[in-house]
Amino acid sequence: MAPAVDVISVQQLSKRYGEQLAVDQLSFAVPAGQIVGFLGPNGAGKSTTLKMLTGMIAPTSGSATVAGFDLVTHPIEVKRRVGFVPESGAVFESLTGLEYLEMIAALYGIPHGGAVERIKQFIAFFDLSFETLTDKLLGAYSKGMRRKVVITAALLHNPPVVFFDEPLDGLDANAAVGFKALIQTLAREGKTIVYSSHILDVVERVCDRVIIIDQGKLLLDGAPEALVAAHGSGTLERLFTELTGGAELERRAEDFAKTFRS
Amino acid sequence: MLTRERENAVPSQSRALRRLFLMLFLRGRSARQLRVAKMPKSIAALLRTSLVVYAFIGVTSLGFGGATIFTLAVYLHAMTFILVGLFVAAAAGEVLFNAEEADILLHRPVNAGALLRAKIFVLLQVSILMAVAFNVLGIGVGVWGQHGSWRFLPAHLLSLTIMALFCAGAIVLTYQLCLRWFGRERLDGLMTTMQVAVSIFLVLGSQLLPQVMARTGNSLGTLVLPWWVRLLPPAWFAGFDDVLTGGGRAESWLLAVIGVVATALILWLAFAKLAGDYERGLQQVGERSARAPRARRRWLDRAVAVPPLSWWLREPASRASFLLTAAYLGRDRDMKLRVYPAVSPMLVWPVLFLLPSRHGGAAAFPVAFAGVYMGLIPLMVLKLVRYSQNWQAADVFHMVPLAGPGELCHGARRAVLLLITAPMLLLFALLVVALRHDLANVALLLPGLIAIPIYAIVPCLGGRSVPCSAPPNSMESSRRGMTMMLVMLLSAVWGGIAIAGWKFGFFGWLVFAQAIVVAVVYAMMRASVARAAWPAETAIG
Repeated sequence: MAPAVDVISVQQLSKRYGEQLAVDQLSFAVPAGQIVGFLGPNGAGKSTTLKMLTGMIAPTSGSATVAGFDLVTHPIEVKRRVGFVPESGAVFESLTGLEYLEMIAALYGIPHGGAVERIKQFIAFFDLSFETLTDKLLGAYSKGMRRKVVITAALLHNPPVVFFDEPLDGLDANAAVGFKALIQTLAREGKTIVYSSHILDVVERVCDRVIIIDQGKLLLDGAPEALVAAHGSGTLERLFTELTGGAELERRAEDFAKTFRS
Repeated sequence: MLTRERENAVPSQSRALRRLFLMLFLRGRSARQLRVAKMPKSIAALLRTSLVVYAFIGVTSLGFGGATIFTLAVYLHAMTFILVGLFVAAAAGEVLFNAEEADILLHRPVNAGALLRAKIFVLLQVSILMAVAFNVLGIGVGVWGQHGSWRFLPAHLLSLTIMALFCAGAIVLTYQLCLRWFGRERLDGLMTTMQVAVSIFLVLGSQLLPQVMARTGNSLGTLVLPWWVRLLPPAWFAGFDDVLTGGGRAESWLLAVIGVVATALILWLAFAKLAGDYERGLQQVGERSARAPRARRRWLDRAVAVPPLSWWLREPASRASFLLTAAYLGRDRDMKLRVYPAVSPMLVWPVLFLLPSRHGGAAAFPVAFAGVYMGLIPLMVLKLVRYSQNWQAADVFHMVPLAGPGELCHGARRAVLLLITAPMLLLFALLVVALRHDLANVALLLPGLIAIPIYAIVPCLGGRSVPCSAPPNSMESSRRGMTMMLVMLLSAVWGGIAIAGWKFGFFGWLVFAQAIVVAVVYAMMRASVARAAWPAETAIG
């Protein structure tokens, strides 16, 4: 059996904002078809790393290739091959859902007829009505509906690599279940998925592997069950809090509650 | 068949981007107050009122009927330069470097040059439309005036387009140079300062230029232009008009060549040579700033906690709104760009009236007029502080236990009175004394001063001056122009009444009666503001 080709390869990647080092010499590789959970506490450097790997911001040092293209020398080629759901879920609010998705399709050079067909498939999957997409401005959508449009916009061009930053934010329970099934199906189709989330039980169930970072540095990298077993933590959530100081937060929460009693 | 071909054709990325930015311009970036059925379909439809106002302002060019083509063209280009420059300078910051847009577009396979070109294309469309609206009557003068020629029509339209390109290129280039020389850390502050300075300069220029022209010549038609005018871009494009219309002297040829070469150079620098800086700037917009800007409000925080401000701002909601308004007036680029250029002509006009003119003129009327006119500063500013790019954050006002927006409006009103109106009035009173050398004239400011509480509370009626609670509205500038005209009319009438009182010896009684009327009306308006419910348009939904 031929060795799996790394679709994402990150070497010594760093990002500095003035004097603050947001990402500190991060290195990892992801083969095709893998679902990687990308974890870390607030301010750990997760979003900065994802923004670098999608070409949104330039690294200060280090290198990375995505889908075979160097991030610094061929950013447009990288962008053609990645889909990204940013944490902000930003959309142009004064466009209708259909106008927005057609605009995104045009940016990837997808012919109009093909784009509308794909959009229809996605809205059927997400249980949205075509009328909603054509008649209402995105500003009038609920948070969950807007998130579905953003996910559709990330997958519309059928990218081999997809980055999700808190994709379940705003989705209802049914949509969340459907989404989890979707990314597992996408991975089986050979797509590489990087999944950043704070909902650790979902990560534990969905991901083949987790990468935990803190203060821009790599802390752990491996299959969730193997990591949990190796540290004797019982669950991924327990392991995560032990590594990133979450246990201390539980004590502080108790202190905080005391201020209301006094 | 044709439809199927169209369905299967690979779409043009640049066309998609141009369409996107045009839609965003027409509809704005927020949808809360937008109704799908009423969305404007074209720039002309969106700007209809503004274009009528610009065409109306263009009436001033009728005074150049006897002027040479070059003189007429200098005037038209100078005024258009200000109009277009002001628009591009105000819009550029938001259009070129939009933080939210980074999350939507920067991970798509679009290069920065394509984004920049699409944005500038829309800015140019708007600029050219505004320029043509202002120049309609001037073109008529250029065709049918004493030295007119039909060739002025195509010549001037072409020179207007080149001038619009020059303006847009110059603004983009300035941003890129700021990025290159000063980096991201200082970019925000620099952009704000530069935009505010350029906007104020252009606004002041638009008020001062006709006055200067009127004061230096015997009449507008036979004006002899000073030599230094030829160093300014409007003279270059006027040279272009002069050459194409057929009366071109060697000097006009030289000016036209300078205009074309300068435009080409600026466009090359902005869109080719420094396009990489734009890409870097776009990326940096999405980054967190390394150093948070220093908050310079500590003294105000302390001042509101002690008398007399603590007495004036007893209500916590009013105090919070006061501090919010003060912070945005001092720190927020968007707010500063909206407020200070709008306020600057309010200082210039009264000062111009005070200057001795070649016609002589009444000594007292300008002071009375200016006093009333200055009293309208809070009305104008309060109409503006409700707009902010962070308007969605104002939802928090609906979540706190407040019966209505009254106290929030009062806080904003007090901040505007204390931080903008009072310093401007003081400055103006000093100018009256300095220019008129007569303390008695200062009394004529009283009718304006007494009216201030009314003018300041009018925008609060219906709870409509909650700070930072409405999305920026591109129509606001044209409405502001019309409000200014109404304000000037009202000021002239009121100033006339004050002068009559001064002349016929009942000024004291007039002021006394006005004070009583103002007190009664103010009390009624205050009660109305206290009862005001949340305006439907700001309700969360």
